[in-house]
Amino acid sequence: MKYLTFAQNLHDLNLIKDQGMTEVILGHRDFSRFGKLDDENYLALATRAHELGIKVTFEWDILMTENVFASTSKKINEFLETMDSLRVQDPGAFEWSLKHTDKPLQFIAENGNHNLLGLKGWIDYAGPRMERIVLSIELSKNVIAEYIKELLVPCEILGFGRILLFYTPRNLLSPLTSEKVALNQELVALGESEESPHKGFPIVENTHGTFMFHIKEFCLLEYRDDLIKMGLDTFRIDLRWEGLSYLSDLNNLKENYPKDLMRGFYLVNKTDVLFPKLKNSRLQKREGDYVGEILEAEKGQHLAIMVKNPKGLKKSNRLKIIHPKGEVFEVQIHWLKNTALEEVESVEMHKLALIPFINGVWVKSHVFYLDNEIDK
Amino acid sequence: MTTAIPEILAPAGSLDKLKVAILYGAHAVYVGGQKFGLRTAAENFTLDELREGVAFAHERNAKVYVVLNSFLHDKDLEELPDFVSFLDEIKVDAVIVSDLGVVKTVRQLSNIHIHISTQASTLNVEAAKLWKKMGATRIVLGREVSVKEAGKIKREADVEIEMFIHGSMCMAYSGHCVISNFTQGRDSNRGGCAHSCRFEYSLDMGLDTEEKKKAFFMSSKDLEGLRVLPEFINEGIDSLKIEGRMKSHLYAGTMSKIYSEALEYYSQHGNFLSENLLEWEAELKKVSHRAYTEASLVDKAGADSIFNEREVSNDSEWQMVGAVVEASPKTGIILEVRNAFNQGDELEFIPFRGKAIKVQANEIMDIAMRSVQRTRPSTLARLPYVEGIGPYHLIRQKGRK
Ligand code: SF4
Repeated sequence: MKYLTFAQNLHDLNLIKDQGMTEVILGHRDFSRFGKLDDENYLALATRAHELGIKVTFEWDILMTENVFASTSKKINEFLETMDSLRVQDPGAFEWSLKHTDKPLQFIAENGNHNLLGLKGWIDYAGPRMERIVLSIELSKNVIAEYIKELLVPCEILGFGRILLFYTPRNLLSPLTSEKVALNQELVALGESEESPHKGFPIVENTHGTFMFHIKEFCLLEYRDDLIKMGLDTFRIDLRWEGLSYLSDLNNLKENYPKDLMRGFYLVNKTDVLFPKLKNSRLQKREGDYVGEILEAEKGQHLAIMVKNPKGLKKSNRLKIIHPKGEVFEVQIHWLKNTALEEVESVEMHKLALIPFINGVWVKSHVFYLDNEIDK
Repeated sequence: MTTAIPEILAPAGSLDKLKVAILYGAHAVYVGGQKFGLRTAAENFTLDELREGVAFAHERNAKVYVVLNSFLHDKDLEELPDFVSFLDEIKVDAVIVSDLGVVKTVRQLSNIHIHISTQASTLNVEAAKLWKKMGATRIVLGREVSVKEAGKIKREADVEIEMFIHGSMCMAYSGHCVISNFTQGRDSNRGGCAHSCRFEYSLDMGLDTEEKKKAFFMSSKDLEGLRVLPEFINEGIDSLKIEGRMKSHLYAGTMSKIYSEALEYYSQHGNFLSENLLEWEAELKKVSHRAYTEASLVDKAGADSIFNEREVSNDSEWQMVGAVVEASPKTGIILEVRNAFNQGDELEFIPFRGKAIKVQANEIMDIAMRSVQRTRPSTLARLPYVEGIGPYHLIRQKGRK
């Protein structure tokens, strides 16, 4: 398993060399979300990296709308000679890079991409140009293991670093300060809300937009043996915020690091288990034997049902009524009236039917034909 | 000569809302089944309701698109084929998809048209070309793209283009916010968004001179693109989408009506009169909304696109009092009351086309034909018959918040 990190200056490159790392990600400020290198600095670092025998990966992870994309993408040509690989996230950057360069591609599939079929689709599309795929940190260990086995290209995951929660191109911090913000100036803040128990979300605004991170940073250092067994190719360590000096003692990084750490969904991802609670499942069951919905419950008088089944409602029907809270009532209708208050034998679909009031039944209760009564 | 106009695509969170939107002029609606979409808490459609909705729409020359726009995990994907076969059988007009695995599944199993969801944040010509090669027939662009850029994408990628024209906006690039995933254990990209961007935050900006700033700094104003309609038309945008499957019947009806009437006017006259625009804008304001912005439709969204205010449930002077469920000269108009109104109140019936009809509620009866002074929500009420008013017509009233 390889370690991979970012360099922001020449000193970083020396630290990377000292650790025996063979590849570095360089972030040019026009292409990389948090890249700080201008043309000159980028070229200096790329040259030095090659002198040190370190492979250069050029990061292009800014999402760009068409006008910016058209003007910026051409600029990559100036750097092609200095990079060994190109690392992209936007499908547009992926497509452009396939057509306009011959560089090996690293595809950042960290956003969504939680199924094998889709991941294989990206890999097939790039063919032999796909050098590596960067998997989502929302994947749990079993899924990571399966993907590493099934995907025919090397896989990378974030092993240590900030968790990006939110990315917008809008400037959200600068409107809050009265000070003038210079071009390429970065604004930072720590945010907290009374509506969330989490305190101190790091927020960064730069020329590419505004980014919010988790209060804790991501750390899989203690699971490195597992990941090696799984066959993970690349373990990325992102120390752009606290400084690359921590790289020198990876085994004690967790203890020495000044921020709280978390392993996210590495053991298990259950981010869909709460969904059934978000909706009233009884209100969802309206198939087949569904008659309609109670629109009025007039105590001691009647229930008004909007009939929604093409079979309509007949006086002879036996009904099951399910209260929004789940209580079930079974009834035989004694009388049935239409909205002219005439007693009738049946009421057709899309009409209101009145039946005798049943104690405990409320508006929004759902009405069903009782089993075996549907064709009466 | 008439000018070609885009389709108005309205949200339909339920079968009733689908009917309301289409009757009020939407050319197409988008709906969600019980799974695979991004509105987990929404009522959503059962299979029977989907079948009925598609038949209802097709009888009126309208289209139905079904959202499958969650970022599906492998186990979710296993359940998808049966649903796709069902959608193919009932002849839905397209599915809206954001994940490549879903695109591939739909292509393998059906010939249903594939629209790439805004959730995929397609922002440029190259991305549109890639999705087209993957099998997409239409791209719903990210809300960060301007109408001019969208026109270029359409011309160069040669694919149908859909853009949002109205509604609430995610502040993040769609699909690029996982706040709920990591803070509430709810996958926002599978329908669990907890709207953390609408919270008020205290911000420590590290400035000695300033205290912590309190601000709703991540909350976006709502999009409103009525005045941009000529640009959408000039750039040949195919479909204009209204956000809001969770929103009310009044919202679905009003938005469908105003935008479709405005487009029809433009197709006949080739321009808008400012008095028309003012009238339509006044109608849009009668539905609860955050302050409006054109966001990035013309220029990149600036500081004035942030909604730095606490949310209120209804900020409109107007409210929906009910929806008609039955109407005939014999029975009168029977409405399902959503908000109470009194005898003597002035109500507005909103016809499917044309101006609102003002009616004084001098005579209100309950369903048992007893006179009532004041209606109650969640009951039925009877009003005297008004020619031309029938089921699914909406009724509103001014002056109550
Ligand atoms: S929290 Fe806000 S920005 Fe994030 S997904 Fe939800 S609506 Fe979008």
